[in-house]
Amino acid sequence: MSESTSQSATTAAQKGGHGAPAPAHGGHDAHGAHGGHGGPHLAHHFDTYQQQFDAGKLGIWLFLLTEVLFFSGLFCAYTVYRGMHPEVFVYAHYFLNTTMGAINTCVLLISSLTAAWSVRNAQLAQRKLLVLNIVITIACACTFMVVKFFEYEHKFHDGLLPGPAFHPTEQVWELESFKHKHPEAAEYAEKLTKAAEEKDKAKAAPVAVAAGSTVAPETGVFEKPTEEQIEPLIKAGVIGPMAEDPTRPSKPRNAHVFFGIYFFMTGLHGIHVLGGIGVFIWLLLRANKGEFGPKYFGPIDYAALYWHLVDLIWIYLFPLLYLIH
Amino acid sequence: MADSDKPENADKEPKSMQGSSEEQPPEPREDATAPNPKLEPTEQDEPEEAARRDAPLVADGHSGHDSHGHGLAHTMPIWMLVSVLAALMGLTILTVSVTSFDLGSQGNLVVAMVIATIKAALVVTFFMHLFWDKKFHLILFMTALLFVVLFLAMSITDRGEYQRNIDLYQSTTSTTPSK
Repeated sequence: MSESTSQSATTAAQKGGHGAPAPAHGGHDAHGAHGGHGGPHLAHHFDTYQQQFDAGKLGIWLFLLTEVLFFSGLFCAYTVYRGMHPEVFVYAHYFLNTTMGAINTCVLLISSLTAAWSVRNAQLAQRKLLVLNIVITIACACTFMVVKFFEYEHKFHDGLLPGPAFHPTEQVWELESFKHKHPEAAEYAEKLTKAAEEKDKAKAAPVAVAAGSTVAPETGVFEKPTEEQIEPLIKAGVIGPMAEDPTRPSKPRNAHVFFGIYFFMTGLHGIHVLGGIGVFIWLLLRANKGEFGPKYFGPIDYAALYWHLVDLIWIYLFPLLYLIH
Repeated sequence: MADSDKPENADKEPKSMQGSSEEQPPEPREDATAPNPKLEPTEQDEPEEAARRDAPLVADGHSGHDSHGHGLAHTMPIWMLVSVLAALMGLTILTVSVTSFDLGSQGNLVVAMVIATIKAALVVTFFMHLFWDKKFHLILFMTALLFVVLFLAMSITDRGEYQRNIDLYQSTTSTTPSK
């Protein structure tokens, strides 16, 4: 930075005779750093601030394009897998904490506001407000990561991990979120499980091997279940053709794939949030020195644009992962 | 552009006047055309002159959507930022509460995606000030979205192609008595 600064200063000096523009700058600038000629923040390879700003803006937009396409790969994986195995998504969404997701959505939205506001502050050379807004943005981003940490920790604890590490400690019908939505189905699943266990015991006793071991519990043991009892279970792949274990309520086959997608999408997003925190800390230090003003607010604007894109991706992730019906 | 650019234009006019441009005096009122007569003469004399004249905050023709005159880009008014946030929060509450209603097999997904898209549009339009930005950036962004749509559409149709094989695999590997 300092190199380009000095270079631009000499360029400005060489050009000399900046009579007209200089006072116009000074009038707009709140802090002296920008006064005088070309200004310390005009890189030597740009003729004007406008050119510098526009070039940066084009650059950040191109970067955002690559980001959109980058994430679209994961969205594609999500779409295809959900199209093929809706039951896996229905099953897995009971394990996600909608409240935490909603809190994180709100936190990100607020940080988006402060990021957008900080651009305004930089444009108007409101240094204190700019610093404050950047601090709030960073605080919100950190809050997001803390909530994410607790969510991840919970998932790790419950064995909700992608691939071969997927060993859920709880069955889906034992979850509060499931019981709350489908109390009858939860009860029914419990009954089926007990029946299957009894059958296992009977099987273990040598006498009972012969009869009835292949009979599915729902046909063998109970009177015909009602729609409310059975439908949520089939939709979640707990029983029925998609279930892993035909003899008792279990989980859908390949349920771990959801958590692969979940961790990849939220993880990649989380990395972007971490990157954003780093960028905003850097900008905070610079803003504190009063480097930004009406002619040089590009970095704030670009970082805010990036931050909005991160928010944008979360706007889609939240309903796709947490609000599955 | 109109309000505060004029004083700056006025500052520079004496300089650019030397070159040529008899049209200058009547021009300043028209934002869109004002920069052009200024640029033409400068290109004729020396590039540095052009640099000098562009140097101040005057937004040039292509990016001249700046209505507040704070220079290089549009400045968002606070009320607009805050009301956008309020709208986004409202839509978030809406999208959460709508999940408790059953809207058919794909209904909930469609509603959730529509709400998310409205939210995304709000963010892009106002927070990312794409509405006031150069149209080229809008085109860039839309191009990216177009390719995302193509990407997803191709993948979805392709998935439909081999659904039969998946069903076959499911039925042969599943030990469940089939329906």
